[in-house]
Amino acid sequence: MSPIQKRSRRTPSGWVQLKSVFRKEVLQTVRDKRIMVLLTVAPLIQTIVFGFAVDFDVDRVPSVVVDHDATLESRAHERSLLADGTLVASAKLSELAQAERQLDEGEAAAIVVLPKGLERNLLAGRPAEVQVVLDGTDPNRATVAAGAVSRYFGEVGRELASDRMRQAGFNVPSVTVVPRVLYNPSLRTPPFIIPGVMGMLLLIVTTIVTAMGLARERETGTLEQVLVTPIRPVYLLIGKMAPFLVIGFIDVGLVLTGGAYLFDVPLRGNLAVVALAAVLYLMSTLGMGLLISTISKTQQQSFLGGFLFTLPAILLSGVMTPIAAMPPWLQLVTALNPVRYFVEVMRAVLLKSATLSDTRPQLLALLAFGVAIISLSAVRFRKTLQ
Amino acid sequence: MSERTRPGLWTSLRRFLIRTRAMSGKEMLHIRRDPRTLYLALGMPVLMLTLFGYGVRFEIEHLPLALVDADHTAVSRELVQAFVSNGEFESVVSLSAPEQAEAEFRAQRVGAALVIPRGFEQDVIAKRDTNVQLLVDGADGVVANQMLTKSDAVLRAFSRTLLPLHLQQIEPPLQVKVWTRYNPSGASAIYMVPGLAAYLMAISAVLLTALTVAGEWERGSMEQLFASPVGRLEIVLGKLLPYLALGLVELLVVVAFGMIAFGVPFRGSPIALFAIGFFFLVGMLGQGLVISVITKNQLVATQAGALSALLPSMLLSGMLFPIENMPAPLQAASHAIPARYLVHALRGVLLKGNGLEVLWPDLLAQVIFAVAIIAVATARFPRRLA
Repeated sequence: MSPIQKRSRRTPSGWVQLKSVFRKEVLQTVRDKRIMVLLTVAPLIQTIVFGFAVDFDVDRVPSVVVDHDATLESRAHERSLLADGTLVASAKLSELAQAERQLDEGEAAAIVVLPKGLERNLLAGRPAEVQVVLDGTDPNRATVAAGAVSRYFGEVGRELASDRMRQAGFNVPSVTVVPRVLYNPSLRTPPFIIPGVMGMLLLIVTTIVTAMGLARERETGTLEQVLVTPIRPVYLLIGKMAPFLVIGFIDVGLVLTGGAYLFDVPLRGNLAVVALAAVLYLMSTLGMGLLISTISKTQQQSFLGGFLFTLPAILLSGVMTPIAAMPPWLQLVTALNPVRYFVEVMRAVLLKSATLSDTRPQLLALLAFGVAIISLSAVRFRKTLQ
Repeated sequence: MSERTRPGLWTSLRRFLIRTRAMSGKEMLHIRRDPRTLYLALGMPVLMLTLFGYGVRFEIEHLPLALVDADHTAVSRELVQAFVSNGEFESVVSLSAPEQAEAEFRAQRVGAALVIPRGFEQDVIAKRDTNVQLLVDGADGVVANQMLTKSDAVLRAFSRTLLPLHLQQIEPPLQVKVWTRYNPSGASAIYMVPGLAAYLMAISAVLLTALTVAGEWERGSMEQLFASPVGRLEIVLGKLLPYLALGLVELLVVVAFGMIAFGVPFRGSPIALFAIGFFFLVGMLGQGLVISVITKNQLVATQAGALSALLPSMLLSGMLFPIENMPAPLQAASHAIPARYLVHALRGVLLKGNGLEVLWPDLLAQVIFAVAIIAVATARFPRRLA
């Protein structure tokens, strides 16, 4: 045997090292049946719950109409007001005090009071006033309820006014806006929440699991054992991330399929761009998990650390609330958030069939973040091993 | 003789308390030795509340708009002015054809494009009915909805300016007066504090318990505890008490911070708040215990805890999205989520000034859940080592 072959047997080449670490890590993860089930079934359950539970188009606001007038006219208004389903009658009450108690108990969220003499005043051309009492606890729902009542009675008032003007001989032209909504014409929630859910799930699955997995090896001491072998820390690091890259890809596939079949989420763009974005994003999330594991001593700490990163990252990603609605200083913070870029790419590609060049700024940001975070955690990882 | 072998009730109770206190002391020592967990558990509420308080907003000022003015007249410029003058819209780019709007949508530069047709001025001067078109990017439904509502309002106001001056000043015959109770300014922090308190308490109660108990099994120290004269109930109580205290401190921190930083009111009964919060915590601690008993592994326990406690506490509790808006099966499922009752009770106490006379069903639900889950936990807790 030549001396060169001998040496290569002692310290195998980088490729061989990488291959064996990769094999070991994937086998170890796949063999843990419970964690595999949780990492693949959980995302599917979450997609389903999110798809059904999250609905930004608030309607069915429980309401009480207190009709003090009790005439044909007032009853007709009550019926038309409730007709479109934005407000739903939760109880039939004749006293405002009873209705307010419903508001206190949370049984109703809006009270509409039709005043005494409504019919008489309207017929006589005298102004009438409709009162609305709202439960403002949920500002979004309160706005929707107020809007529904104002829109309905505003329309009634305008018709009355223009009737009178026409009688007085004035022509009232109307200038209206004709909206055309692209990509999601009926503005259903799932097509834009599911791409966001994908970003959240990948973050939670990969960051916290990586962080805790490494902290566990540190607790049990198996990480130190690897130091005795000739494997270089860099390969070890890549090997540790490999199984989660695979799981991440499985999850992307599951969420896309689940979203498409259950919620009619369109898959319009190039799926290669989706895959590229997923790889770049997983670099960031896995790197973050690694970084958290290097600064925590126990699994409990790395879990809390992971949570401390993932929750704000989700909140500031534009998944739940638009980034443009945040105060300027918080919008600046979101520029450092990989979840934001990934979700932007997902929405653009899946819904608007955006191309590689359309999403280049976001993809570059993901790449920069991923490279930076992995190098940082690699440096820290080597330090903690020594 | 029998008195020596079977100590009296008081003596055994005293011994029980001593052993429970010893277990709690041991757990407190764990927490004290690892202050990072404590900092994270207490720092998280402040960070989350700050982010939620400022970050969870839906209303966007300066909606980014593209203009396609094919008319180029004084009236069309007036309409553009009406869109941008009060700051609700911001003209970002001028396009020469509506077809160019899609490229702007894909690059996420604008949310809508206003298309003013040729001949717009002539129609307005001739008092003919006319319209403008609004192309809306439906990929983010929240933004799209605001585009639609606000553009409609702008055009209503614009139409009014086209009437002769004396007609503009006529009062509308029907007016809607809106009273918003509990949270008149629509502050999102006031809305978020109750939900956030529930969520954070769920995190620390379920997950920290699951982690610490599963950790004892992972390290094998649970077996050592079994070998000691400490009983099952004493181990469980001793381990849970410090986290019960931590959870109550978190509730206090969230409410106090919300009051100081965001002006969240406290109108109702502190006793109701404390009682419902206490039983909620007991239930959540029990759930964490069940998870750890079943999984005996920290990594699996966190995933199971996140899926069974955090996801429903966020989505099905009414913390972010109204329950009445969900499909019937999810509404039914939400009745089994303790966070639902806590969120309802906290909103009642803090914002509506309620006491136990209104909130007793919530307290009852918490007690039922707590008793049931502790029963399950005790039943599943192994008596002996296998």
